[in-house]
Amino acid sequence: MLRYDSSSSSAGSSSGSLSSSSSSSKPPQQDIDGLLAGAGYKVRSSELRQVAQRLERLETAMGNSPADFSQLASDAILYNPSDLACWVDSLLTEFAGPPPTCSSDFIVDPVNNQTVVNSAWTAAEPHTPQVHQNITYEEQQSLDNQLTVVTAMEEDSGIRLVHMLMTCAECVQSGDLSLATSLIDDMQGLLTHVNTVCGIGKVAGHFIDALRRRIFQGMGGGSVNGGSAFENEILYHHFYEACPYLKFAHFTANQAILEAFDGHDCVHVVDFNLMHGLQWPALIQALALRPGGPPLLRLTGIGPPSPDGRDSLREIGLRLAELARSVNVRFAFRGVAASRLEDVKPWMLQVNPKEAVAVNSIMQLHRLLGSEQTRNSPIDTVLSWIRGLNPKIMTVVEQEANHNQPGFLDRFTEALYYYSTMFDSLEACRVQPEKALAEIYIQREIGNVVSCEGSARVERHEPLAKWRRRLSGAGFRALHLGSNAFKQASMLLTLFSAEGYSVEENEGCLSLGWHSSPLIAASAWQAVPARDNHMSSS
Amino acid sequence: MVVPLNTWVLISSFKLAYNLLRRPDGTFNRHLAEFLDRKVPANLNPVDGVFSFDVLIDRATGLLCRIYRPATAEEPAPNIVELEKPVVGDVVPVIIFFHGGSFAHSSANSAIYDTLCRRLVGICKAVVVSVNYRRAPENRYPCAYDDGWTAFKWVNSRSWLQSRKDSKVHIYLAGDSSGGNIAHHVAARAVESGIDVLGNILLNPMFGGQERTESEKRLDGKYFVTLRDRDWYWRAFLPEGENRDHRACNPFGPNGRSLEGIKFPKSLVVVAGLDLIQDWQLAYVEGLRKAGKEVKLLYMEQATIGFYLLPNNNHFHTVMDEISEFVSSDC
Repeated sequence: MLRYDSSSSSAGSSSGSLSSSSSSSKPPQQDIDGLLAGAGYKVRSSELRQVAQRLERLETAMGNSPADFSQLASDAILYNPSDLACWVDSLLTEFAGPPPTCSSDFIVDPVNNQTVVNSAWTAAEPHTPQVHQNITYEEQQSLDNQLTVVTAMEEDSGIRLVHMLMTCAECVQSGDLSLATSLIDDMQGLLTHVNTVCGIGKVAGHFIDALRRRIFQGMGGGSVNGGSAFENEILYHHFYEACPYLKFAHFTANQAILEAFDGHDCVHVVDFNLMHGLQWPALIQALALRPGGPPLLRLTGIGPPSPDGRDSLREIGLRLAELARSVNVRFAFRGVAASRLEDVKPWMLQVNPKEAVAVNSIMQLHRLLGSEQTRNSPIDTVLSWIRGLNPKIMTVVEQEANHNQPGFLDRFTEALYYYSTMFDSLEACRVQPEKALAEIYIQREIGNVVSCEGSARVERHEPLAKWRRRLSGAGFRALHLGSNAFKQASMLLTLFSAEGYSVEENEGCLSLGWHSSPLIAASAWQAVPARDNHMSSS
Repeated sequence: MVVPLNTWVLISSFKLAYNLLRRPDGTFNRHLAEFLDRKVPANLNPVDGVFSFDVLIDRATGLLCRIYRPATAEEPAPNIVELEKPVVGDVVPVIIFFHGGSFAHSSANSAIYDTLCRRLVGICKAVVVSVNYRRAPENRYPCAYDDGWTAFKWVNSRSWLQSRKDSKVHIYLAGDSSGGNIAHHVAARAVESGIDVLGNILLNPMFGGQERTESEKRLDGKYFVTLRDRDWYWRAFLPEGENRDHRACNPFGPNGRSLEGIKFPKSLVVVAGLDLIQDWQLAYVEGLRKAGKEVKLLYMEQATIGFYLLPNNNHFHTVMDEISEFVSSDC
């Protein structure tokens, strides 16, 4: 029988020269086995022996199991595979009854601050040998001259276009607006040699427009999102139909909310951006089918006020109420009209202390990040009152991107990668005209990221790692989305989308991406009960 | 026989997880497999002198490769247009790496393989191209080999990967477990097409045959691996109706093709003494020798499968030294 050497828990700390792709700073919990961390597992060195014993027990239990274990495994729902001890315990429970208490309760430390960049598109078509290698920023001047000589190969033009975009962005950052302007003209010319129906040509065009707007409107920012709320809703709806990102968001959040509401008879969902309420029919139906019967469901939908006297929030509410009635779910709706999330006060939500509350934020929190890092910034205020509601769950879905960096060039570069990946994924979409309007939706986002500043710039996306830190700091702890949610998200993808999309699990959170680049991340949170708390504790 | 504790935990957890994923009817729980697999993204910021990025090299099949390059002192983090900047050096080895997983598990972005590829960059001063080939049972033979071949042609045609000395790409093929098997078959195809491969590095390569060998009987179930699971993976990979004497599985067996007279590259073959399929691996080495091909065998008596995943044992360091020498001896 193979034994392990339990006396030497070897090479415990992360060895400097052989770490994985995480950044070179050591994790704060010094006790974590560095080598297993490099393999993606978090196990404390001091617990290695216990984990080994549990693995042995699991093996024995599986060996004794009369039915085939792949079937039993399908029924088990596993959480956070990085936490080896816990998922082994989940399986042990399936096979052999409850194990001793799971003692590995890690504070989910954010995966460190990597700049993750996707370059899958650069080699989308095979390259011909490059004619313009080794061009550096210092050679901008000769670059201008070279650009008048246009070669026939589209691939070369595509790369050149990217290079010019970067140069132009750098000029904007350093204030050299005259060179930036001439580059805009040159790029516009180059666009005629590039296929603008798909690939780099398409996304480049949008970035050129955004840069132009930024340059010509000065640093005050323009009203890019001049569209009415009504227009925005239409575009959003088409984005929802054309690609799986929003469906994934809704689906994953609903799964987590459903699990959180288990055992509660009065539940209240607060939706930070109701739109057409696309997320909720599925939840209503799932609650209707709940073993033991559905709870009383209250939905509070937040959205912008309707300008023309219509009460669009109420209209959506009525439609949802009709659906709920048809499946025998007791339902109540309340609309809260607010142009900005920070204008919402908790008393407007009329939360009842006896109900289980779910706060649902699909791509809304980043709008609160504003440029000033003051103490009572909108994000802090809002997170604070959410915490005060003591929700059973807060579902957060955000773009997995770093579009809120102070430096313009950095932001621009990130956005170029991110949106070209997203456009690439959209090409796989079959449905017209949804696709065209979905592109306009994305185009508006690009415009906001690139050409707006100050309070006008609301698309301040930050990556999951940053949200983890922020939310932990605000008194929330992560709830893990499990293998069930993962499996269903993956199945959803196969049903609705083209090949190339992938769902990934990362320490309890799920992300959806195109090939290996995550573009949208979903996580779930709960308020940590305050210790010195004079309000009611959970 | 003693194995370091963290290695034991790692390989055991793989073993148990994999048991859950294989179904008796030959299907595979792919969703759960992807959920459990620990993956890492590519990283343009150099970590310990290596940066990585992903490239889609065949849109039709969605074939991705992850490329690992050594960072230079001048460029702290490469720019988007500098990813495919020409390699600098008279001779720059390019290692095309095929990850293991018995044809069914893992990916190029699995944490364990990302780590291994990064090590290879440092050890060999090479560019490493890790191929995310299609896996069984959804994609049987010859998909993995076809993907390997596509990646090989792609690498061979990159001008930015050419060594200055002769304006050619200096290619090595490497892989562990099923990846080692793929490396062999891609090398055979390469030389048939007249393209040079400088060397093959096979770590615990996955071979087999219909016959039950002595090592299989002796070591069945003793060190993480069972004959039953080996059989399952071959059934999942080989065309339906074929047995383990198929050329893919048993290249020097009754259906094998002779390599005599073919310019097959030199090989470094690492065999773990506690691996139940070692008789097949040793037969492979013997097959190469009989055909007059240069081959170095590293038989690590006390090693189990996966010993090269964590740098906490002597076998690991011995093998890495040998690989370094194998690759550098062409400079």
